[in-house]
Amino acid sequence: MVSRPIAVLLLGLTAWATTALAEPLRVLSWGGAYERAQREALFDPFTEQTGRDVEVHQYDGGLDALRRAEADWDVIDMTRSQAMAACREGLLQPLPHNLPAPAPDGTPAERDFLPGAIGECALTHSIFATVVAYRRDAFPGRRPTRIADLFDQQRFPGPRALQRTPAVNLEWALLSYGVAREELYRLLSTPRGLRLALDRLGELEETHWWEAGDESPRLLTESEVVMASGYNGRFFDAVINQGADIEILWDAQVQEHETWAIPRHARQPDKAREFIRFATSTERLAELARRIPYGPARRSAILQVTTHPDSDLDMRLHMPTHPLNDAGAIVKDEDWYASTRSRLDDYFEAWLALRGCLISVNEPCPSP
Amino acid sequence: MTPDSSLPGRGPLPLLRFLGLVLLGAAIGGVAALAATGFVRCVLWLNELLLISPRSRMMFDHSGALVAATVAVPTLGGLIVGHLHRHIPEGRPHTPADAIAAVQTRRGRLPARAGGITAVSAMISLGAGASVGQYGPLVHLGATLGSLGARLMRLGRSEDNITIACGVAAAIATAFNAPLAGIIFAHEVVLRHYALRAFAPIAAAAIVGHVIATQALAQGALFHVADTVVPRAWEFGLFVAIGGGGALVAGAYMHAILGVGRLAARLPLRPALRPALAGAMLGTLALWVPDILGMGQETLRFATIPGAFGGGELLLVLALKIAATALCLGMGFSGGVFSPALVIGTLFGALCGTLVASISGAPQETFIFYAVCGMVAVTAPVIGAPLTSLLIVFELTGNYALTTAALASVTLASPIAAQLFGRSLFDIQLHGRGLDLSSGRGRALLMDTPVIDYLTQACVTLSPGISLDEAITTLARERHSEAYLVDEQGRYHGCVTLAELEAARQEAGGRRRTQACVDTRRPTLCRDSTLWEAMALLEEVTGEALAVVDEGVFRGVVYEVHIAHAYLHQSDALRREEHGHG
Repeated sequence: MVSRPIAVLLLGLTAWATTALAEPLRVLSWGGAYERAQREALFDPFTEQTGRDVEVHQYDGGLDALRRAEADWDVIDMTRSQAMAACREGLLQPLPHNLPAPAPDGTPAERDFLPGAIGECALTHSIFATVVAYRRDAFPGRRPTRIADLFDQQRFPGPRALQRTPAVNLEWALLSYGVAREELYRLLSTPRGLRLALDRLGELEETHWWEAGDESPRLLTESEVVMASGYNGRFFDAVINQGADIEILWDAQVQEHETWAIPRHARQPDKAREFIRFATSTERLAELARRIPYGPARRSAILQVTTHPDSDLDMRLHMPTHPLNDAGAIVKDEDWYASTRSRLDDYFEAWLALRGCLISVNEPCPSP
Repeated sequence: MTPDSSLPGRGPLPLLRFLGLVLLGAAIGGVAALAATGFVRCVLWLNELLLISPRSRMMFDHSGALVAATVAVPTLGGLIVGHLHRHIPEGRPHTPADAIAAVQTRRGRLPARAGGITAVSAMISLGAGASVGQYGPLVHLGATLGSLGARLMRLGRSEDNITIACGVAAAIATAFNAPLAGIIFAHEVVLRHYALRAFAPIAAAAIVGHVIATQALAQGALFHVADTVVPRAWEFGLFVAIGGGGALVAGAYMHAILGVGRLAARLPLRPALRPALAGAMLGTLALWVPDILGMGQETLRFATIPGAFGGGELLLVLALKIAATALCLGMGFSGGVFSPALVIGTLFGALCGTLVASISGAPQETFIFYAVCGMVAVTAPVIGAPLTSLLIVFELTGNYALTTAALASVTLASPIAAQLFGRSLFDIQLHGRGLDLSSGRGRALLMDTPVIDYLTQACVTLSPGISLDEAITTLARERHSEAYLVDEQGRYHGCVTLAELEAARQEAGGRRRTQACVDTRRPTLCRDSTLWEAMALLEEVTGEALAVVDEGVFRGVVYEVHIAHAYLHQSDALRREEHGHG
């Protein structure tokens, strides 16, 4: 039997050891429902297994924070296009090839991960999508099935909400002409293709241009619009937590990769790699996907996804990567956007100033 | 005749040989498909690198440098191409027409060196944005590889023809990802007959090409068509009419190419520099109308979308694309005629569709039908392959309604164009080079065999001055019924027959000079005469032989029996090739 003072001393020593020896892992992520899911599926289990705390900071996804010298977080959660740009600028550490763990059945990671998931500086863990969602009560007797229906205001009348950016909108507009997904970026590279796409966007009678991600579910639930583009996780959240009567149109969803990366000035790169290996294991990815409907980047994890822990909803049907949902998915040409984005933005804004502004909810019309 | 001899080619050995040929066909299909894949990838890569593809032009953010590149790239490409062509004996790139000629005359043996240089120069032409097609070079590359395979295996001419067709089928099957179209194209355009013996190796080659295409060349198809509505009944009448119009457009296109070729020959500019001039003109024009640059796949795609072009714009791009292609091909760029024809035809069909819509005021739901009908109506006459064009539409779209509409248009297009201009651009070109395929392969074969091959000096020649008695004695001694009068200088004076000599002796006595009874109606052949001409002469002449006379000098004779023999031999070879089983 150990005496009481010694026990207190021992406890104190342990506490001192965990704080002094184990500096917490500092993770940069997006906050909100997404961070809650990560906390439950990744951060807490990691602390449990390694005894190391995880300290989460939030950011807006931009690279400015990374460019500063004090960017000494250990791990960053970022989109693949941003990670590719940061990697080119030398802001990230290259990842070793053997970083991701093999699947439980021994399948090597290279074959288990989806194509393009294992990058030089970033490892994709989940895939989210920009999709169109619609109010179920808006079109009695029929429902939209193709992205062209977004632009068909005769069969599906009512105002729309679209993100105030050329990306995704241009693709959808050109697709509505019957263009094949493989041909999208070749055709959008011509003045004729851009004109056709903007013509189609301009044909919409009433468009709200949203900027913040939570605007579009709100516009839908408040019946401001009947169809809106947005992130599939946000729409899911609106259905689960607010009981919104909306449904996702998966055709022409634009998928993006969400990755883990290690910044150049990370203080604990070894621990960061250990965390990434842990967080991208099949089991953890499946657990994360039970809490937020983002598709796991591993095939073995996709098979293990089960139900939402609170609502018992089968989460597989809500993944962008589910075979039923991704039959019409667009693969975003990130190289193309990397070199055209600023010009496209200018072009789009100039067009908006002339035509789309009249119905924009965000700002008054500049005189043309 | 015993039952065995009536069934030629049955037995284990011929079967093994036939299976060997099928395996060789598959192997050639694999090599040709890989070569085609490499070719297409290389062109795409060059287009990205040299700022020809719209995607690379869009991603390149320096407008001044882009303008300079637009003019400089085709010009420099033309310069390289022009200099490459100096290493080909004919001084021009080889085309599918050369492969057709080799098969139709049973020569086979396509030259590997010229084929290789042509493939490289076509790659550079296409890579540098010349307005030419990629399928012609692919077909010729496949044909050259096939012929090379037959030579490596030391096979005969007949097998050489089959392996050429195998290479062609594999190239088309790979490039379009359309194996049926590849098989039909090889039969319809290259072989021009159907034999089971050739079908199996060709089918094997096309299948291997198709498998490789789906595995290795994951590029998108030529065009994609979403679900279409079914056209109204009266529209089928319009599709037929588009066929008629398409034939005329095809004629204009073919004659523009040939016309620029003739003009270029008169230019005071070295042949090696002509493509560079064409490149400079093309690049300059492309600064205003970029649609004419390169193969024009984006233009093709837009032409199937209602409203992408205005009516006037369609007409302008159509005319400029014909002009640009004629300029590039006529001035000596290396490349095919098919891809530009696809663009031109689709623009023409779109123009018809726009016209119909503006007259009838109906919604343009069936616009794609007009575009595809125009496409088929122009391409089928140009390559002389209505069935292939239909199958390409079917295999690329999997859309039966669209294929029947294309059928309606090709019904009129191909015969009208064949009547007015010729079976295909290849046939017109070969006709210009002296090979007439309009009456089929048998005639082409005879026309390609020089009569000089059957020349012999084993005949009776007499001096024109000798008496009838002497002449008759000599003929009797030699057991011949005809003699040829040749003087000391070797000059030919005519032919005499024993019957005529006897008749003359009865009338005027034996001392008369032989020269007096020369048969003036007896025609002669010259050194360049073909077996076909000799056969034609035989229709009006009965006798022993025809004299071959070269600028008045007697060279020898060709016996009629040899001509008949040669004819039978050729027909027999053709019959065996076209109707043999294995």
